Amino acid sequence: MEGTAVEVVELRKNYGKREALKGVSFSVKRGEVFGIIGPNGAGKSTTLKILATLLKPTSGEARVFGMDVVDNASEVRRIISYLPEEAGAYKNLKGIEYLRFMAKLYAGNTEKAEDMVKRGVEISGLGNRLNDKVATYSKGMTRKLLLARALMVMPKLAILDEPASGLDVTNAYEIRKTIKDFSSEGVTFLISSHNMLEVEFLCDRIALIDSGRIVEVGTPQALKSKYKADNLEEVFMRATGFEV
Amino acid sequence: MRRFKVLAMKEVMNLLRDKKLLFGLVVVPLILFPVLGQFTSVGMSSAQGVTRVAVVNLDSGTYGKLLVKTLNASPNVSLTLINAGSVNEAIEKAQNMGQNVLVVIPRDFSSKLSSSQTASVQVYGIFTRIGAGMKESVSEGRVRNVINVLNREIAVIKLKMIGVKNPNSFVEPVKAVSYSVVKGRVVDVPPSAVAAAISSQALSVPLIIFIMITLTSQMAAGSMAAEKENKTLETLLTLPVSRTTIVASKVFGTAVMGLIAAAAYMVGMRYYLGSLSLKTSVSLSSVGLSMSPLGMILLALVVFLAIVFSLSLAMLIAVFSEDVQTASTLVSAVVLPLAFPSFVLMYTSIYSLPTSIRWLLLAIPFTHPIVDYRKLLMGDYSFVALSVLYLVVVAMVTLYITARVFSTEKVLTAHIRGGKK
Repeated sequence: MEGTAVEVVELRKNYGKREALKGVSFSVKRGEVFGIIGPNGAGKSTTLKILATLLKPTSGEARVFGMDVVDNASEVRRIISYLPEEAGAYKNLKGIEYLRFMAKLYAGNTEKAEDMVKRGVEISGLGNRLNDKVATYSKGMTRKLLLARALMVMPKLAILDEPASGLDVTNAYEIRKTIKDFSSEGVTFLISSHNMLEVEFLCDRIALIDSGRIVEVGTPQALKSKYKADNLEEVFMRATGFEV
Repeated sequence: MRRFKVLAMKEVMNLLRDKKLLFGLVVVPLILFPVLGQFTSVGMSSAQGVTRVAVVNLDSGTYGKLLVKTLNASPNVSLTLINAGSVNEAIEKAQNMGQNVLVVIPRDFSSKLSSSQTASVQVYGIFTRIGAGMKESVSEGRVRNVINVLNREIAVIKLKMIGVKNPNSFVEPVKAVSYSVVKGRVVDVPPSAVAAAISSQALSVPLIIFIMITLTSQMAAGSMAAEKENKTLETLLTLPVSRTTIVASKVFGTAVMGLIAAAAYMVGMRYYLGSLSLKTSVSLSSVGLSMSPLGMILLALVVFLAIVFSLSLAMLIAVFSEDVQTASTLVSAVVLPLAFPSFVLMYTSIYSLPTSIRWLLLAIPFTHPIVDYRKLLMGDYSFVALSVLYLVVVAMVTLYITARVFSTEKVLTAHIRGGKK
């Protein structure tokens, strides 16, 4: 298990009669940026939510740094940071208050919390706007604040669900750049996306997921070679049985 | 404990900055109630001011004149004599002159009294416009008082005429002197005054408890449902904090706001009731019905536990709601039917109710602050101790169930949506 940040084995999840995951397996190495790619409803968010301890699997195993996400949920929460696809911040708090509130929950003392907040201020790039209420922020500003919250605590594993979804080019670029910077500092990233360009830019390895099943795992380059494709979009289509 | 404090502070700050909530919590009770009271008070003062009484004296005898004279000498009465040939003409004249009351002394008034028959006067309250009718009612009351005095005076005069030496003992042969026995001690205060003092408390305590329960439970439900609506819940649930701590901090944060609301409502209601002259001439403490410091601590504990129960219940309901509007509707549907029955205690003691209803009421935690308040005034600590024990069990069990449900994925997967968005 040395060198493995995430280990998922035969993971299944049912919502009533609907099978969202049908035996998903993959692993993520420490320090890696790993992407889960697939269309809407493929099972990306469900997989991430199980790893973030929000949902319990129907069967199978999921481990984060060797800890079972069901049996050791509290311990897992101490080393991960999760950014949901549709996330908000407390609208009545100022940006800086929001970062301070989150830092206090992670840090053991005031000094550590202030260090986290300083890092968060830097990551967000929001400057003086951090002194305004979150209610006044644009979608892009809120997303930057939330990413800053997720990364300022220096998690061992950052789970980001569609980190740049719905953002304009500038905001999306800044967010991807931040993820790259933190990856080089040793943070492991597990990212879901349906933006193939984003994935190619960010991820060391990817898993293609379709209808609750992993259909391919590998580096973007290796998968493009295997399927003789110009881009990951073509890889996905061929891997899932569509003629391109 | 550190994380609990951080979360609770965030809750309080978030709620304090909610303008809509602050309006309901502080502006309404602190400004609206006293203003409303002031308006009502102005209306009552105006009603209790000088009464304009018109009199038509159709009687030419002594007693008619005596009645006019007595009315004229009465305080807060401005008398105007009207000349009219009939009652209808008198009413029309009185209306045109803006009088509140018209008194008609009939032609046979003196002759009937002289021949030892019962005479009558007609009193008309004149409603020139639709109002509360307070002025007309007060005016009629004043005229009746004058006639009571007149009755007594005429009786005394007549008794003297037939040679009775002490006519007062005939007119009022029995006089009642009232005392009250409170907690075994005789106090020189009429029971009506003690009852008025108790009644003002009996009305306001259940009302304040009701407002507190409904306000705080709505706040708690809103706080929980807002996490879903504003998409902050998933992040919150992945933080390194136990689910019990999250629920407890929300309960605490909302309870603090509830106490602020309670204080504001108490001040507001006090001004309002004060304006309505519901203040009584005697205080509860002056007749020995005061609460000891221990009693106050116990009452605060009972109120706190009842609030913890209502907040936990509200959060449990809100867990299943997808948005604030649905949570608010569901909480109202559950909490209000639980809080309403305690209103019966505004008008009666719990011991005057049938046994089954009594136990049913006592099973509802919201009844306990009202019953315990009265018990503590009477110094009955054993009942309150049992009450505290019951509330601890009920509040803790509800809090535990809420925390357990909050620990499951139901909190994310349950989607009850009531209102249209």
